[in-house]
Amino acid sequence: MDLICLGLNHRTAPVEVRERFAVMTPKLGEASREMAALVGVSEAVVISTCNRTEFYLAADDGGETLRLTEEALILEHGLPADAGHHFYRMEKSEAALHLCRVVSGLDSMMLGETEIFGQVKQAYQAALDAGTTGGVLNRLFQRAFGVGKKVRTDTQIQEGATSVGNVAVDLAEKIFGHLKNSEVMILGAGEMSRLTAQALVSRGAKSIFVTNRSYDRAVDLANEMGGSAVRFDDWQRVLEKVDVVISSTGAPHAIVTREHVEKARRARKYRPLFFIDIAVPRDIDPAVGEIEEVYLYDIDTLEQLAEEARVRRKRQIEDCEQIIQSELAKLNLPGT
Amino acid sequence: MDRTFLIVSTLLAAIGGVLGMMSVHRGIRSRWTVIWMVAAFACQIGFLSVRGEARGACPLRDLGEILAFLGWSLTLFYLVVGPPYRLSLLGVFTAPVVVVFQVAALIPGVLSLDPIHATGTDSWRETHAAMSVLSYGALALAGVAGVMFLVLDHQLKEHHLKSGLFRNLPPVRELLQSMMRLLWIGCGLLTIGIVAGFLMPRTGGMGHLIAAVATWVGYALLMTVKTVRGLTGRRMALASVGLFLGSLTVFAFV
Repeated sequence: MDLICLGLNHRTAPVEVRERFAVMTPKLGEASREMAALVGVSEAVVISTCNRTEFYLAADDGGETLRLTEEALILEHGLPADAGHHFYRMEKSEAALHLCRVVSGLDSMMLGETEIFGQVKQAYQAALDAGTTGGVLNRLFQRAFGVGKKVRTDTQIQEGATSVGNVAVDLAEKIFGHLKNSEVMILGAGEMSRLTAQALVSRGAKSIFVTNRSYDRAVDLANEMGGSAVRFDDWQRVLEKVDVVISSTGAPHAIVTREHVEKARRARKYRPLFFIDIAVPRDIDPAVGEIEEVYLYDIDTLEQLAEEARVRRKRQIEDCEQIIQSELAKLNLPGT
Repeated sequence: MDRTFLIVSTLLAAIGGVLGMMSVHRGIRSRWTVIWMVAAFACQIGFLSVRGEARGACPLRDLGEILAFLGWSLTLFYLVVGPPYRLSLLGVFTAPVVVVFQVAALIPGVLSLDPIHATGTDSWRETHAAMSVLSYGALALAGVAGVMFLVLDHQLKEHHLKSGLFRNLPPVRELLQSMMRLLWIGCGLLTIGIVAGFLMPRTGGMGHLIAAVATWVGYALLMTVKTVRGLTGRRMALASVGLFLGSLTVFAFV
């Protein structure tokens, strides 16, 4: 019995190809059943995330099954016959190694991300429930989860936020702890503000106030985020109660000055205030950061922190690969 | 026996503190500090029990006992406040202060080697002494939380976010809340201590009671300003550290 992996990901296929192969989570079991029904295939697990779709199969003849499966998939998804270059094909120990790298976040677009671990677990569980796994894939996936855990425990591959939005959220949590009691104001309804605010909401921010020179855009974004729109003339009033301000207007000069914040301090009872300035030119006068209870971070600082985390993660790759290699060497996986 | 308990307790707190600092330096959360502090706390109880037995009263009759009691009180409040509220690193910051108090108590001549058995006890005097020292434990821990806040505040302001210390410090808001909580507890206990002090039979001058009242007024003022007008975290932290060190100095001379 041979272990094989056929897949496509963000490096090998554009989104318009990947989306054709995407399988919704509730359908993963069914997809695994369809793969296991192919000629020569005895076990199957289908993994599908926004960046990859992979088919792990146990088959009598690995090489032949890879060829037939690829042809069947191209035909089924209406791709031209020469679309095979979007796929990667792996057999035996190479396939096992690949799964361990995927589970450890080493093959992800955002190096070291943790979400993939849960997604692979979910996919395996769906296949297990569908009865499409056996001696080869059960052992492979269970071992891969063990290796993935070891990689994350023994290295710092998942440490530090690697995007501006996540750096901002991590800092907000360092200042306010759990964000469920924190209120956020967005100055300027741009894309970057939306993404950062979304990250804060996903971590439990209590309420969002959106203000923009165009009130209609503020209303749109507020509706999207489940927050409240505020007229641009009123943002100083809101400043008295919020904990975090995300600013990203297109203004050519500073919108928030030291005087604005000084006026609000008394009403705020000098509580900590976190300013995230992701606008260029900057919206917040750097003098605001000199106020005692104010923490001010601009786009350059946030980018620099994200880049440092990315570099730290890249330095960990070699250690992670070594762990995977040595763990796989200890295992005598069937099909490899 | 009593000194042995105190020495072991000091060593345990020192080991907990050093191991905690080493973990923090490596960027790892110091999960074992609380265990070392629990062990140190058990030995502190051993010390106070032996001394209490020997005195036939609350063991607060000489400077060594007061310092050891203060170390016990500080550890007690750390164990009550730190782990339940997940204030990581509070133990690492508390351990050195406990060690300083207890090392000072162990300096020859500070702790009487032959404690005299009390001939008669007065409940107001006992309450005054116990509550006052206990309150100082809470106020000392508020000072420790203040120092932690100042470190974190500086790192956040200056964008120095790479250290293991930064990663392991609790959030700003939690530190400020803990500081305030400890100040309330400390002030409440000090109030009871002062009231008991005025009710106990007076044998000497009023110096230390006046110092205690002055300390109480300082803390009450701080909390009133914080509650009514509001106060920046930095000023509150500096005030709680300053008031604690100031009052310790005053008591050393009164």
